[in-house]
Amino acid sequence: MTMGATDASGVTAGTGGTGVATGTGACEGSGGGGSVGGRAPGPVLSVAGLKVTFVRRDRELPVVKGVSLEIAPGEAYGLVGESGCGKTTLALALMRYLPANGRVDAGSVRIDGEDVFSLPEERLRELRGTKLAMVYQDPASALNPSMKVGEQIAEVYRFHEGLSRAAALAAARDSLERVAMPDPDATLERYPFQLSGGQQQRVVIAMALAGDPRLLVLDEPTTGLDATVEAEVLDLIEELRGKVDAAILLISHNLGLVARLCERVGVMYAGRIVEQGPARELFTDPRHPYTMGLLRCLPRFGVRKDEVSLVPIPGSVPPLGSTMPGCVYASRCRLVRPVCTRREPDLFAVPGDLAAKGRAAAEGEPPAPTAQSPHDAEPVGDAARHTRCYVPDEVPAMRVEEEHVHKVQARAARADDVLAAAGVSKAFRDGGRRLVAVDDVTIDVVAGETFGLVGESGSGKTTLANVIAGLYAADGGEVRFLGQRLPPRAAERDRDVLRAIQMVFQNPDSTLNPSWSVRRILSRSAARLAGCRGAARRERVEELARKVHFEPRYLENKPAELSGGQKQRIAIARAFAGSPTLVVCDEPASALDVSVQATILNLLADLQAEQNVSYIFISHDLAVVRYLSDRIGVMYLGWLMEIGDAEDVFRPPHCPYTEALVSAIPTLDFDHRRPRIPLRGAIPSLSDPPTGCRFHTRCHRFLGDLCRREAPPWREAGEGHRYRCHISPNELRELQLAELGPLPGR
Amino acid sequence: MEQASPPVGLPAETVVSEQALRRRYVVRKLLRSPTFLVGLAILLFWIFMALFSTYVTRYGPFAIDPYNTLTGPSAQHWFGTDDSGRDVLSRTLAGARPVLEVAPLATLLALLAGTTIGLTAGYYRGIVDEVLMRAVDVLLAIPVVIAGIVIVSGLGASLAVIILVIAILFTPPVSRTVRSAVLAEREREYVQAARLRGESGLFIMAAEILPNCLPPIIVEGSVRLGYAVFTSATLSFLGFGLQPPSPDWGLTISQQSQNIQVAWWTVIFPAVALATLVVGANLVADGLRRTLSE
Repeated sequence: MTMGATDASGVTAGTGGTGVATGTGACEGSGGGGSVGGRAPGPVLSVAGLKVTFVRRDRELPVVKGVSLEIAPGEAYGLVGESGCGKTTLALALMRYLPANGRVDAGSVRIDGEDVFSLPEERLRELRGTKLAMVYQDPASALNPSMKVGEQIAEVYRFHEGLSRAAALAAARDSLERVAMPDPDATLERYPFQLSGGQQQRVVIAMALAGDPRLLVLDEPTTGLDATVEAEVLDLIEELRGKVDAAILLISHNLGLVARLCERVGVMYAGRIVEQGPARELFTDPRHPYTMGLLRCLPRFGVRKDEVSLVPIPGSVPPLGSTMPGCVYASRCRLVRPVCTRREPDLFAVPGDLAAKGRAAAEGEPPAPTAQSPHDAEPVGDAARHTRCYVPDEVPAMRVEEEHVHKVQARAARADDVLAAAGVSKAFRDGGRRLVAVDDVTIDVVAGETFGLVGESGSGKTTLANVIAGLYAADGGEVRFLGQRLPPRAAERDRDVLRAIQMVFQNPDSTLNPSWSVRRILSRSAARLAGCRGAARRERVEELARKVHFEPRYLENKPAELSGGQKQRIAIARAFAGSPTLVVCDEPASALDVSVQATILNLLADLQAEQNVSYIFISHDLAVVRYLSDRIGVMYLGWLMEIGDAEDVFRPPHCPYTEALVSAIPTLDFDHRRPRIPLRGAIPSLSDPPTGCRFHTRCHRFLGDLCRREAPPWREAGEGHRYRCHISPNELRELQLAELGPLPGR
Repeated sequence: MEQASPPVGLPAETVVSEQALRRRYVVRKLLRSPTFLVGLAILLFWIFMALFSTYVTRYGPFAIDPYNTLTGPSAQHWFGTDDSGRDVLSRTLAGARPVLEVAPLATLLALLAGTTIGLTAGYYRGIVDEVLMRAVDVLLAIPVVIAGIVIVSGLGASLAVIILVIAILFTPPVSRTVRSAVLAEREREYVQAARLRGESGLFIMAAEILPNCLPPIIVEGSVRLGYAVFTSATLSFLGFGLQPPSPDWGLTISQQSQNIQVAWWTVIFPAVALATLVVGANLVADGLRRTLSE
């Protein structure tokens, strides 16, 4: 028994402070920290009660509000949470890299026992070079563009280990070999721009590992990279785990990624760690409503919109630096009690039997009420789980509650084509070179369906979307809309066509004119697209706002005053101003946090069910595309590689490129992990596309000369399902099924 | 629904208006910047003098006193008198008027023309851009002062001509600034959304893009103002601007420069006045640029 008397609701009667350092001392001392200390020479990183405040425009904003965590040697610890929760600030504070307007108010950071905050500047620099290394989000900006890769890596060895030029270059070569860079000798002589994104990130990681760091901090190491490149970097990190003894702190908003790489996970919300524990347990049986909330926002791979609806977390992350007396999550929590808003819960240990009950509950049995307070349990060593919640045993039941399904109108066996693009090509001129971004692509979209368009960046999916919407004129082929040939440019289309084909863009920050009020934005669209005047227009604006769940009282606001999700809602409302027939959605939710993404995806699905609108939905997130789409087209280097019903495209036989894309999806499903198919090399340049099959340079099912010489034929793999490959459907099915092993029942 | 309402337990004000906060912040930061305040004070001083100098000085700027020519600074004439016995203080203060008639108007015209050219070239790109920008390049290649002299000697030195000359010569740099701002703005998605509504090019330029290019245009204007003061003084100095007996600084400096050996005060004070006005305009420009570009 480590704590005093507590009542059944979990309110502690005698504990003093609310800060992590004091209030949860009992839990952490005997739990995580203690046991780690007992087993190993001590944690590599130990953060205690860290508080960081920013000063912005004369306001004090506490961003990290007391965080404690420890990472043992060789351990990978994942930090997840929505943006604005203080993850990156925490990482910067670890290395004393805070910007000038940030300061550490309290707490300590020890790296290998050394107190980072009391080190002299000199020693700190040494520490940053030897014991600590950080990898940031954008590899291109971390490398010096005017310096050869070899020299950049060698510089690290020369500076930190005092090696001679030749010795440093040799060490650089070895380091490239360590990060499995293909052809390290040639790479030494290259400039960063000559490498692919994945290779650049390899170089950055090689540099980070050059000093044999004790702690490697990876801050969103794959965000902004294509799924296939992400998979490549992930594989590398996973592989390095076996070779390098460094502790890893991985910061990411991508739960699937963290689940794959990390043993332990901390969930951060509004500057606090709200739940912490072993990755598998935490993701399969979360005990904090926020963790559960995050999980319910994600479309589980293989789930469709007519089966399960996403459940967004209500509300949004509190504005940076806001303070509240109770639990940081209380304002959005479904399980909130009066006590939650009065006093912040400590980081309680989750007892083992409770976790077991939770699992039972998740499998269908109702949870038995526990008389036992969370406090009474003994923390269970290294695998101890902690949650900052008064009612952790009620969390598992949230999984099953209120999952409503989007009422999708049953698609007619063969509905009429809304849009038919035949043989569309579009080339751009770049200097003297001709880049064929879309090459002879034929797709059709029927009424009320979602047509998903996937592919790596540079595959031409956005160009195709823009051609259809009328932003670019195609060079070849034709686009028919409801049987009529479409004028290529929006300016030449009459109002009825403009009204019927609209677009939702990717970037919430530039999709709305920053100097217009929301009302003016919607009003203009209502006038132009629906032809509304006067009172009818005012009414239409409010109707649109209601439709996208936007509170009318914010109509006078400028976009800068709205959250990313609100901006995207307005962008959707704008597209729906004239009751469109087809809306092109170009990554409409990828710039948003998961919970906001879920509300946007739900909104799109609901609007579709209501108005029978068709979507062309572009996304790099295959789980999202699969969730929303009825049919899918896969593009690579301007070619359409595969087209068919969503289900068919995602299972064998499918084009080897699709196969690789699907295998790259990071998943939270711990039991059914697919073997990943690495794509070799970089995406070839559009100015000099490969001969024969465009994909042959990277294909894992490369047949040899045939693929190099001849463009592959279209293969019919089923009703409306076609793909391009030299391998026949039957053969391909055998090959691909053999690789997958027994298929999970989904 | 979600997001729309402020989170429970937070004062509503924290979510209210990032925009209003920013505006308040910009104003406060400007008022706290010594650079901007000093510049503003100088500008206001000269504007006041341009309007009211005849009410605050003891002598008229044109009042001749043949018995007191080229007298040094004294209690009667703080800045001394010139070769016609006119009070240098009165003439220096009154000299603000001609320059402040020319410079702001010329700047405004240059802003109008430059914004129109920059918007058109930047929005339409292609051949329109090529033609307009090559024309601008040609104008930029002509030395300002020489071109000014040629035009003024051809058309005569009236106020309108001088204003027009300076406006034309300042149009190219303004168009370049505006064009580069437009180039960045036109790629943004709200412009594409406007095209998908079938908006005309004129509407997109004027209503969608222009409002978002205002900060660089304001900064450009304040920078050009300083240069315009300078250019108008130069033209006057060379005899191609205002004509005697105008108290214009450039003109006065050139007229009195023959006396500089015996009566330095006749030249130094108008020169200092000119310098302060140029520096004042530049300080304001600096303050604006720093605050607006944040």
